[in-house]
Amino acid sequence: MPDRAVGSEEAGGAHTAPPAAVRVAGLWKRFGDQIAVAGIDLELPAGKFIGLVGPNGAGKTTTLSMVTGLLRPDAGTVLVGGHDVWQDPVAVKARIGVLPEGLRLFERLSGRELLAYSGRLRGLPGDEVDKRATQLLDVLDLAGAQHKLVVDYSTGMRKKIGLAAALLHNPQVLFLDEPFEGVDPVSAQTIRGVLERYTRSGATVVFSSHVMELVESLCDWVAVMAAGRIRAQGTLAEVRGDAPSLQSAFLELVGANDRDSGESLDWLGGDAR
Amino acid sequence: MSAGGATIPANGTTTVPGITSVFVRLKLSLLRNGLRQSSGRRAAYILSGVIALLFAALQLIGLIALRGNEHATTIVVLLTALLGLGWTVMPLFFPSGDETLDPSRLVMLPLRPRPLVRALLTASLVGIGPLFTFCLALGSVISVARGAAATAVGVLAVALTLLLCVALARAVAAANVRLLSSRKGRDLAVLSGLVIAVGIQVVNFGAQRLSDAGGLAKLDPVAHVLSWVPPASAIGAVDAVSDGAYGRGAAQLLLAVAALVALLWSWERSLVKLMTSPDGSTLQAAEPGRQEASRGLGGRFLPGGRTGTVIERSLRYVWRDPKTKAAWVTSLVIGLIVPVFNALQGTGTIYFACFAAGMLGIQMYNQFGQDTSAFWMVAMTISTPRDAYEELRARALALLVVTLPYSALVTVITAALVGDWRALPEALGLSFALLGAMLATGAVASVRFPYSIPQGSTHKNVAPGQAGLAWISILGGMIAAALLCAPLITLTIWLHVAAAESWLWLVLPLGAAYGALLSWAGVRWSAPQAAARLPEILTAVSKG
Repeated sequence: MPDRAVGSEEAGGAHTAPPAAVRVAGLWKRFGDQIAVAGIDLELPAGKFIGLVGPNGAGKTTTLSMVTGLLRPDAGTVLVGGHDVWQDPVAVKARIGVLPEGLRLFERLSGRELLAYSGRLRGLPGDEVDKRATQLLDVLDLAGAQHKLVVDYSTGMRKKIGLAAALLHNPQVLFLDEPFEGVDPVSAQTIRGVLERYTRSGATVVFSSHVMELVESLCDWVAVMAAGRIRAQGTLAEVRGDAPSLQSAFLELVGANDRDSGESLDWLGGDAR
Repeated sequence: MSAGGATIPANGTTTVPGITSVFVRLKLSLLRNGLRQSSGRRAAYILSGVIALLFAALQLIGLIALRGNEHATTIVVLLTALLGLGWTVMPLFFPSGDETLDPSRLVMLPLRPRPLVRALLTASLVGIGPLFTFCLALGSVISVARGAAATAVGVLAVALTLLLCVALARAVAAANVRLLSSRKGRDLAVLSGLVIAVGIQVVNFGAQRLSDAGGLAKLDPVAHVLSWVPPASAIGAVDAVSDGAYGRGAAQLLLAVAALVALLWSWERSLVKLMTSPDGSTLQAAEPGRQEASRGLGGRFLPGGRTGTVIERSLRYVWRDPKTKAAWVTSLVIGLIVPVFNALQGTGTIYFACFAAGMLGIQMYNQFGQDTSAFWMVAMTISTPRDAYEELRARALALLVVTLPYSALVTVITAALVGDWRALPEALGLSFALLGAMLATGAVASVRFPYSIPQGSTHKNVAPGQAGLAWISILGGMIAAALLCAPLITLTIWLHVAAAESWLWLVLPLGAAYGALLSWAGVRWSAPQAAARLPEILTAVSKG
């Protein structure tokens, strides 16, 4: 797809100077009594490697599911490349690639069959799908296992084949939920290499993680999430501030440093942005 | 291993009584812990235990009552052979049934094989299954033993039968433990329900036929052969000694003993192998898979775009996914058995052939639930009602590839068996209309009432809390399908009543057209809803 430079030309409303790949406003999600996501506003710049970090249960997966159209929010809007995810799914679904966490793949297909299936469902011509699949399988070091059923894949191989399926239609924005969770170092390095090459071409990667060292070494831009809210967002330097590392900045932001002093859980519902 | 009262001596003391009692205690605490889990589970556990015991007691009484009956030997030998078969296949189908069956859990313990075999064998005599077997063996012996010598042999025979059954299960489990703990083994376990379902149908039919023709005398030759096959040969020995045929009795008894020794030997061998060689299951998984073109044989005949892609994926899943496969084979077999067996018994009409269409049409229900949470891959590619329409239509077409020829075949076979060739066109027409109605209601139900099919458990097909939804969707859908077919059924009946039989052939083209129209309308109507409800469907099918 040639229109790599994400246009803000169609995005209704005011534009700020840096074009936003993803714009989230007032996003809410409640499961029963539990508020999973409590009014999120996010503006993710295009062409960046973006990390969504937060402790377990912070609402990262719920947020990513709503942003990609897999979960309906209770309130709020999500624009990807200026297109509303819920009003204009045709434009959005063609522009995004997703690797969710905790959802299955069609595991009774072989790796190659899964890519062939996924690409053809996206409406790509069969020859093109097969060509891209071969290259992706090679680059992701899955060529040897391409005829094995995905159900027999290891965790790292599953993440890699999921990544291949998400990249197949050359999306502008890639959403990855915990792409390095349970992945061996070799596969992690392979995934990393592919993603870095991909962002260099102007595409945007949004990924969630709770491994700060990884986020710090990979990302240009970080959003910190805790208890369903965004605690901070901005470039790595901005979020890190004076703290020696992202880890300590993060612990401060999510209020984990207070725990030692035995104070009450004041970050719960406390100083909302 | 669970925290039962059993503690295994760490210093390698493997004196026989010590380790045996440890394993028996372990088995008892496992049984006890099974009761401890939840009150619902405890109730189910106690209930099944009580039912099994009642059943065993009834069987014992029944077998004792059989004493003196001329067919007693036949029945008893067959029952024992069946029991042996049950013990043989049980570990294959329910590998997780008995935790002490899995020798790989004992690998780290300093145990010698021979005492281990003895201890495990003794431990496996504890439980409801062995008690049930004991009752059956005891009843069998009582029903055939006559005289002091036969009684003495009978005591031996009861012990031998029990030991043989238990050893069979153990030996089979140990020999196949690598298979059973692998994915292929778990897939096999899913298919077991199917074997049982079909087996019940066949046994039921066999019993009916038997009562029709000649009775039990027909089975005498089979029983005669089986009385030489352990464990039934032990019971055969009792019968032989009762008849005064001491030579035959001794031979049969010896056969049973030899079989037990052979089983224990092979069990010990596989135990030694399991405990000393590394687990090869992961090595096996790494072997290069078979070379298969990404666009297989079907690829050349299927249309391009979403339609062909979805059809190909659906058909692959029928073959490769154990749950889908089990559902399909059940539908195919039951859809054939009901009309054909009824026809064979002379009670059937050709209209029973519609059963095949009805059974196969059920596969259209809960289409997205069959995807499990992998449905997100589909949801990500559906942006418009048109996409959803193509998706649902392709799934219906994939079903039709199999169901259309199959229901036609079943109708033709039934027509041949009933000898009612004149009614073939109308029966075909009704079948096609019913198939179309099932596809239509199935498409609507798939979108309105999706529910998840748990993949972890082998015998559960509905996630907890969604059973009502599943029933509403299938039952309501079948009633709706029947109602949708009502016009055609009315027409058929009217043509019969109005003595317009020469026009009955019209039901075939009308039924085919009506079925096609119905399925088109059902898919067309549900497509916009599917496109609008994608997140809700994904949530519903991702539970469990």
